[in-house]
Amino acid sequence: MAGIKLKNIQKSYMVGEREINVLKGINLWIPEDSITVILGRSGCGKTTLLRLVGGLEEPDAGGIAFDVAHKTAFVFQESRLMPWLNVWDNVKFGLKKQECDDKAIQSIIDVVGLNGFEKAYPNQLSGGMQQRVAIARAMAIHPSFIMMDEPFAALDYFTRAQMQKELIRLQRDCGVSILFVTHSIDEALLLGHKIVVIENGQIKSEFVVEENNEEQSLILKKNIIEQLDL
Amino acid sequence: MKKTIGRLCPIIGILIILCGWSLVCKLGIFSPYVLPTPEKVFNSSQKMLQSGEIFVDIAISFGRVLKGFLIAFVLAFSLGMSRVLLPVAEKYYEYILQFFRNVPPLSMIPLLILWCGIGETTKTVIIVLASFFPMYLNIVKGFTGCDKRLLEVGDTFNYTRLEKFKSIVLPAALPDILVGMRIGMGYSWRAIIGAEMVAASTGLGHMILFAQQMSRTDKVIVGIFVIGIVGLVTDKIFGIVIKKLFKGTGENGWN
Repeated sequence: MAGIKLKNIQKSYMVGEREINVLKGINLWIPEDSITVILGRSGCGKTTLLRLVGGLEEPDAGGIAFDVAHKTAFVFQESRLMPWLNVWDNVKFGLKKQECDDKAIQSIIDVVGLNGFEKAYPNQLSGGMQQRVAIARAMAIHPSFIMMDEPFAALDYFTRAQMQKELIRLQRDCGVSILFVTHSIDEALLLGHKIVVIENGQIKSEFVVEENNEEQSLILKKNIIEQLDL
Repeated sequence: MKKTIGRLCPIIGILIILCGWSLVCKLGIFSPYVLPTPEKVFNSSQKMLQSGEIFVDIAISFGRVLKGFLIAFVLAFSLGMSRVLLPVAEKYYEYILQFFRNVPPLSMIPLLILWCGIGETTKTVIIVLASFFPMYLNIVKGFTGCDKRLLEVGDTFNYTRLEKFKSIVLPAALPDILVGMRIGMGYSWRAIIGAEMVAASTGLGHMILFAQQMSRTDKVIVGIFVIGIVGLVTDKIFGIVIKKLFKGTGENGWN
């Protein structure tokens, strides 16, 4: 099975004169065609791990191997839309001129439920709608892997629930692989096919989630809570 | 009702100044040579408008301002852009620019006359020197102040440095660039008197200086009004263009 392989990833930052080891030797297999969730409390290194996989930063040691020809896209915690572009132009932001296909862009906008808002600018949209544009922008390049850094964290409960449903549907319909970072155990259990728990820059445990198995979900939740010492 | 009052406010402001001016003249606080009456200034402006001489001066000064402004903008934009695309280049010219930023353009007139003569070049250089720095500083602020998080979006889509500049840095810097252009245009008009002090026989600056030599204070005031009005109109046109450009993209401080 193809995927992304992380081998002994280490990363540290200098804060003032102090060196902080954020990641202390991460070994991980991220399978394709599924949602892998990185779970952990704030400051545990999960965003750094995602940024390393996304190529936004270089690890101090170790390597990341993409098993398949990869085309990655990134969805950040904030939508990071270009404020001077409307929804349509923001969605096609990652596409080269020759790759732009109006029908395909329209269908992605429809999928994220923004039909009729093509000409709207980011400041005319709600937070949830902006985030959906960011997801559409990532989907538009037809990536094989999408990295998502707590993309629903700033959303209200109802919008978050709706977006989570849409994400599951998108993953199933388009067959992409998703690496999803969150600090919410419930969100991890709802979305993840595989959950990786990180604590203090190290992998604490990994779980495979069975679909529609509420009993297992409850047991997993209990385990994760115990492991994170909450 | 509120809208009508809002529109009337500037007119009321002008009327108050005119009334105050008229009153000071009527009371004879200053001699008519020092402060001519508003009526005399109005009559002079009527004569100048009817003879058409003022339009010739406006056209010539506008041409000079535009030429100097455009040269200054191209220079400011190129040097600002090279700071982003070629950060090493900045080290070579930054101190020189900061040095000249503190030198008043008028102090350069004797040297400019020696080097460039008394023709159009000296006048253009004075306008360039006056309008370059506000534009350069704003352009640099716009280019270097681009949100790093937006640049990261470009990185995630494998944008090259040039693509990031074209698609992210430049549009993000546009409000600052336009603010710089607006200030630069204002400075160009402010420099026109200095520029036309150099052996000019036409233009608004020359008209004002000539009127001063002929003791025609009324004409001096007309010249000042015309520069102010032309500058204001140019500024308004800038405002309208920018409003159209930024339609729907939120506040831009130009309204």
